Amino acid sequence: MKRRSFLNWGTAGLVALWSAIGVSMAAVVRFLTPSVFYEPPQDFKIGTPGDFSFGPPTFLSEEKIFVFRDREKGFAVANAVCTHLGCTVGYFQSDDQFHCPCHGSVFSADGKVLHGPAPRPLEWFEVTLARDGQLRVDKDHTVPATYRLMV
Amino acid sequence: MNPIRDVWQSIFRRDPLSTDKGKSEFVFLNVWLHIHPAKVKKENLKVKHTFYLGFITFFLFLILVTTGVALMFYYRPHPPQAYQDMKDLQFVVYMGSFLRNMHRWSAHGMVICVFLHMCRVFYTGSYKRPRQFNWVIGVVLFLLTLALSFTGYLLPWDQLAFWAITVGTNIGSYAPLVGARIRELLLGGHTVGESALLRFYVLHVAVLPALVTLLTMVHFWRVRKDGGLSRPVWKLKQEKAPQLVTIGAPEATAVLTAVPASKDKTYGLMEVVTGKPIFETISVEEEEDTVFSYPFAFFREGIALLVTVATVMAVSIFWQAPLEELANPAKTPNPAKAPWYFLGLQELVSHSALLGGVVVPGLIVMALLAIPYIDPNPSRRPADRKWAIRAFTLFVVINVVLIVIGTLFRGPGWALVPPWVHIVGAE
Repeated sequence: MKRRSFLNWGTAGLVALWSAIGVSMAAVVRFLTPSVFYEPPQDFKIGTPGDFSFGPPTFLSEEKIFVFRDREKGFAVANAVCTHLGCTVGYFQSDDQFHCPCHGSVFSADGKVLHGPAPRPLEWFEVTLARDGQLRVDKDHTVPATYRLMV
Repeated sequence: MNPIRDVWQSIFRRDPLSTDKGKSEFVFLNVWLHIHPAKVKKENLKVKHTFYLGFITFFLFLILVTTGVALMFYYRPHPPQAYQDMKDLQFVVYMGSFLRNMHRWSAHGMVICVFLHMCRVFYTGSYKRPRQFNWVIGVVLFLLTLALSFTGYLLPWDQLAFWAITVGTNIGSYAPLVGARIRELLLGGHTVGESALLRFYVLHVAVLPALVTLLTMVHFWRVRKDGGLSRPVWKLKQEKAPQLVTIGAPEATAVLTAVPASKDKTYGLMEVVTGKPIFETISVEEEEDTVFSYPFAFFREGIALLVTVATVMAVSIFWQAPLEELANPAKTPNPAKAPWYFLGLQELVSHSALLGGVVVPGLIVMALLAIPYIDPNPSRRPADRKWAIRAFTLFVVINVVLIVIGTLFRGPGWALVPPWVHIVGAE
């Protein structure tokens, strides 16, 4: 074998080897990414409007949401997950604020950050009325804090 | 014809231990012991030089592997069985709670001892040439120790575990571009759930211990190849003009090179090969400074092992490893705290998640890795490196202060509360 062809084949071989390693690493990352998430659905029903009272928001612990019902304005759904590090915030009627137990973030009743390390206001989810008369929440659709569903 | 002697001699092919050759062969011909040199410098065995922290860390790792494998016989990595198995270990399994205590307290001890070992190596300047790369391996081993602790933290599947991992993995998701993706890969989902528990379990019992074992072997091997333990700083004299030693084969016409004489041991390739001689063995050790590893080094290491095991056992008899109620994703405990060694980090994160959780720790890790390469000072004498010592001490003090604040002074809602104040109605 001539020196030139040896070097050519050798280079081609090394390129092929490293490409194969690259593709294999991508396959490893893909393998580690689940194709199916066995997690609660992002889109779910929470019951009929009559199930919710006026006044302070109702906390749904499974779904980690607060359901607001206002006599004039209607329904709104806030995410109970703190935008800082994912702890569940609590609503306190005494000062009409959300408090996060982990790092002390405080949010106003409309989700704005009052103080603490939280980088963003609390998220608001789209809430609609399903055909069967139940309220339907879609966690994949965030809406402005002013969003309301009149029933 | 003596069959017993034949069997013995087929296993141990060495001279009697009463002879110097036998003592050397005891180390040299034994696969488990030959990581030691046959002879060691007397002053390197002094407790006040190393405090045996590297050995203690290794022994704690051995305790962790042993007790960890024992715990695996009674543990299912799936919620909520994982938590039920913890209760079984605590109340039903014979010696279960003792083994779990040993595992938990050794894990804390290992984090402390790795850190103290790193401090010792820094203060004695032992990361300097030719040991730079072994420092880097050591820093990686420190990070792997933290990763092992963190993955193990989730396994009890109690409130403490669930929320510490929720907070900890959310810190990671602040990393630009890849953060959210890494969190998804680590958890196998978007929240801490059954796939997260399984993934942390596999990392904790297989992947990370294997990595630590491999790197520990490299770490030990490099200690030998970099010339053995560094000399105690009190043995270092004022820098003199280095004495040059000519190396090369005697009959070679040209001198190969001249290198500074070193008190460190270096090794040559003892092999018949073609080409110029490649000896670079310079050993100007004083014979009277060294002692045989058997029995002097092994005796001291044995004592370190006994003290380590006895201490862990004593602590495990008197103090129970904590176990809170079953993990409840709907109810965040107040305050929710990460493991203590991450509370400095959580303290930073409580001010800014991006800066405190990603930027500062990232810079710290990079600085630690780079220390041997950015420190231009060749001297190991403490008098010559005042600023390096001050800077590192500042780093250690800040770390300790932040961890103490996070552990003792943070109450409900992460408010500053002294530990002696009891808040009525706090969960």
